[in-house]
Amino acid sequence: MTARRFRLGLGVALVAIIALAGLLAPWIAPFDPNASGADVLSGATATHWMGTDDLGRDVYSRVLHGARISLLVGPLAALVTAIIGVPFGLLAGYARGRLNQFLVQVMDLFIALPNLVLALIITVMVGATLLNIVLVLGIVMWPEMARLVRGQVMSLRETPFIEAARSIGCKPSRILAFHIWPNIMRIVAAQMAIAVSAAIFTAASLGFLGLGLPPPAADWGSMVQSGFDYLSLNPLLSLAPGAAVALTVLGFYLVGRSVE
Amino acid sequence: MIGFALRRLAWVLPNIVVLTFLLFATTSGWLGSPAAMMLGTDASPAAIAELNARFGFDDPIVVQYLRWAGGALTGEFGRSYSTQQPVAAMIAPAFPVTIELALWAILLAVVTSVGLNSLVVARGVVGAISTGFSIIGVTIPNFMLGATLITIFSVWLGWLPTTGWVPWDEGALLHLKHLILPVVTLFAFYFGSFSMVYRAEYRAVERQLFVRVAAAKGLSESAVSFRHVLPSAVLPVITYVGLTLGQLVGGAVVTETVFSIPGLGRLFVTAIGSYDYPVMLAVGSIILVGVMVTNLLADLALAAMNPQIRL
Amino acid sequence: MTMIDRRGVLLGGTSLLGAAALPASSRAQTAEPRRGGTLTVGFDDNARTMDPTFSIQFSERQVLFLIYNTLTTIGTDFSIQPELARSWTIENEGKRYVLRLQAGVKFHDGTDFDAAAVKYNFDRRLDERVNSPQRSVLRPVIDNVEVVAPHVVAINLRTPYPSLLADLADRAGLMVSPTAAERLGQDFGRNPVGTGAFTFRQWVQGTSITLERNANYWEQGRPYLDRVVFRTIPNQIIGMQRLIVGEVDYVDSLTPEHIRQVEGRDGIVVQQARVGRWYSLQWQVDKPPFNNPLLRRAIAHALDRDRINTITMGGRGTIANGPVPPGLWWSSPDSVVHNHDPARARQLLAEAGIAPGTEITLAAPSDPLLRQIVQLVSEQLGAVGLRVVLAPVAQSEYYARTVQRAINFTPMAWTQRADPDGLFFILFHSRGFANSTGYNSPDLDAALDAARATTDVEARRRLYARAKEIVVTDLPYVPLYFAAEYAAVSRRIQGWVWTPDQIPRFRYAWRAS
Repeated sequence: MTARRFRLGLGVALVAIIALAGLLAPWIAPFDPNASGADVLSGATATHWMGTDDLGRDVYSRVLHGARISLLVGPLAALVTAIIGVPFGLLAGYARGRLNQFLVQVMDLFIALPNLVLALIITVMVGATLLNIVLVLGIVMWPEMARLVRGQVMSLRETPFIEAARSIGCKPSRILAFHIWPNIMRIVAAQMAIAVSAAIFTAASLGFLGLGLPPPAADWGSMVQSGFDYLSLNPLLSLAPGAAVALTVLGFYLVGRSVE
Repeated sequence: MIGFALRRLAWVLPNIVVLTFLLFATTSGWLGSPAAMMLGTDASPAAIAELNARFGFDDPIVVQYLRWAGGALTGEFGRSYSTQQPVAAMIAPAFPVTIELALWAILLAVVTSVGLNSLVVARGVVGAISTGFSIIGVTIPNFMLGATLITIFSVWLGWLPTTGWVPWDEGALLHLKHLILPVVTLFAFYFGSFSMVYRAEYRAVERQLFVRVAAAKGLSESAVSFRHVLPSAVLPVITYVGLTLGQLVGGAVVTETVFSIPGLGRLFVTAIGSYDYPVMLAVGSIILVGVMVTNLLADLALAAMNPQIRL
Repeated sequence: MTMIDRRGVLLGGTSLLGAAALPASSRAQTAEPRRGGTLTVGFDDNARTMDPTFSIQFSERQVLFLIYNTLTTIGTDFSIQPELARSWTIENEGKRYVLRLQAGVKFHDGTDFDAAAVKYNFDRRLDERVNSPQRSVLRPVIDNVEVVAPHVVAINLRTPYPSLLADLADRAGLMVSPTAAERLGQDFGRNPVGTGAFTFRQWVQGTSITLERNANYWEQGRPYLDRVVFRTIPNQIIGMQRLIVGEVDYVDSLTPEHIRQVEGRDGIVVQQARVGRWYSLQWQVDKPPFNNPLLRRAIAHALDRDRINTITMGGRGTIANGPVPPGLWWSSPDSVVHNHDPARARQLLAEAGIAPGTEITLAAPSDPLLRQIVQLVSEQLGAVGLRVVLAPVAQSEYYARTVQRAINFTPMAWTQRADPDGLFFILFHSRGFANSTGYNSPDLDAALDAARATTDVEARRRLYARAKEIVVTDLPYVPLYFAAEYAAVSRRIQGWVWTPDQIPRFRYAWRAS
């Protein structure tokens, strides 16, 4: 499948570039991302590749440092979705009868709820800190993971080797842990990559709507929002961090979809 | 079928109650005393107590919720803290704005995703384009697309107004000009997901017997695609719209904020930004209930089409 | 009685002694006013009510002055002039103001404007159940309002209050129709009825407010415009773009950055306010950590106000060494100045026993300019070893929370008043209603009380100079600068006036062909 190969390659390359930018930001960024300067709202120049913002801060350096925040928020939130979603999905997939029905309905209910709206409500109540944002995103996104895991478990449950394990008296917990889990790890990993992309997407949307990390953090979504006033003077103030969000989201999405 | 509908209803109704109660309890608990907020700091404790008694702010939370829910059912949501207006009067003009915006975008997205993916000419190229656009559609954040469109079409070219909203009665042309960029922004988001669903569905239908028979009869490829595959494959897309409405709402919230469109989404974001809890509660509940009801309808539609689901 | 002059977006068109140059109004004399046409004003969408009794937002007043008349009015030279009150006398040693009212004035709903209507307006503001935000200022001053004759009304004061006439030119003097206010109750704010040159037509929240010409306006032949539309602009930059393409005729609240793109453009006049808003930092001086005067002085010395001015105002603001801008009758030389001196700041912090790395929380309201200011403050305090945590807060909430004393350390902006008592008393007097810092200085109270009790201008000037010195020494506020603020207007709009109460007056504006 060449198209899939191409997409995987593109995804990996994007993720690698963003990850390198984030890791190396302190060394490769030409300026301190939070240091103000007298040259305010300049366009792109040889010194300031993407111009400066309304405090004279170097936009390029801020975009690089922003990668650190996104790469922290995205994977951690994805981890939270897995921590909640995988056990839930395993249980919902394996259980039968009333319990199964109840779990499925709870899951469907949460899937239906609008992630962003829910995230907005919870974030405004608990306050926008890094940890809170990670938890909020994990909490609104787990049902996707649970649904996926449940589907996998249901199809595996009826396979002969699981039947065999059950017939020799394996306990359900043992079957789930040693027989089913190894078979769905790959799918879970792929879904986690997609969750990373969704988390970065939603976190940036929160930032854009004014619920990002407090200033002066180089939070991509907040940067897009504060640059919005100056689109006509220097569109890069908004478009550069916006493009960084889009490329990161795209990278993780492609990786996830191709592995799946 | 009726039994199924009743079972679904029996599940959805309590959910609506539980969710709105949670929303009510958390927002009011987190905001502290509404009386102190309404009267300000120089209010005497007596005045606060009087107000509490008058509006029942010190009743048990369940009683307060029932009172609120009773009002909400009759369209009475109290008054906004920040504008002092009845909340219902703020929602009334915002609602049709959001509906119009969303309908345009959904309609456009359904038509293009179905049309494009049913084309039989140059399938490889069209498929690649469609896949590429769907991936971009679901991964590019609305605010990024919106900012890019504004920069190109408003700031550089000056063809379209930057942001804002002009009602129909102030000129249809002006109204439509203000609609173009937001609709395109929202459309891109919807197109991506609809297109993916339709393609998967299309491939499944294509393999079915009646399609192969139609093809064997000698119908042209295009006729098969549009007359036989499309009608069967499009229904799931429409139910998919209903089922994913929750995620679509998120896109509308951001798009309305980007383009300063006075719809429900922006009302909600503004209310959140100014801790305007009656508005937040009302719009939040409307969104949640709206999403759940649409879901229910989509479920029922799906069940009507496919009896197996009813089991 | 400008009251809380704070708006969602704090930047506001501001002028003190009228504009530096008066292009619009000076041309007004040369050209003949023309009837007809619509004026479209770029408007910040944070208006909450059109009932002056409850108005606190800056933006609301642009509209209020068209729908309503005030009892007195302020000229561009700060003088108090008649409006609904034709003339007045001050009796009983400054404790009784007798106003003689215009006859034959009617509210838009046909109600007569008379002494009873004036009394109704004041009683409504003073009524505890009505809960007007102006009550806390008026109640300690006004004892009662008395109908002397159908068109003569007397305001009896508890104490002499020299700035009453200036207050009557502002929100407290805007007269609403008693019939409509009674009939509509809480909904009056959405269906305002006044005596003004324009009648209210509709308000689409978040989009526009439309006013129509009042054909029966009591000033013969006026107004000239058929319609005034206040159209919401999401921000000033977009407002400027709409001004350029002609979608709006007027945008204010502009910073030097904003006007970069229209300066020198044909068809657009840029007007600078002579004195902008006073930007400052404030804190609670009766609570830790800011009850320590050494810490307050350390922070004042740590701030580089020139740099803040350069970055946020392109250097066009005026550095403030106190709450009084230069060029007013109560301005005085700066006897106490806290220069930028990081070494001194560090030394003071050490004396105060504050360890390097100590954390301080500073509120970060969402207005772009305040956001810029707090980030620079945080950087500069970081340079002397304080760790500043910025706590975001909605623009519409931060002032209320500051007054409720839920926010300790915050940036602040105030507009100047027509009388020094206006700002000094409410902010710094221990009984001032907007004193949110917990500042209590008997010396200062004595100076302000003495200044209220006399009408001798020279004596008041000396007392306010003394008051300023006390305030700057005690530092309940750290002054930053007086902002450079601008309005940009289509050249075709003539006859409007930027009065020193900072509100553009469009009542007599017209549109040139």
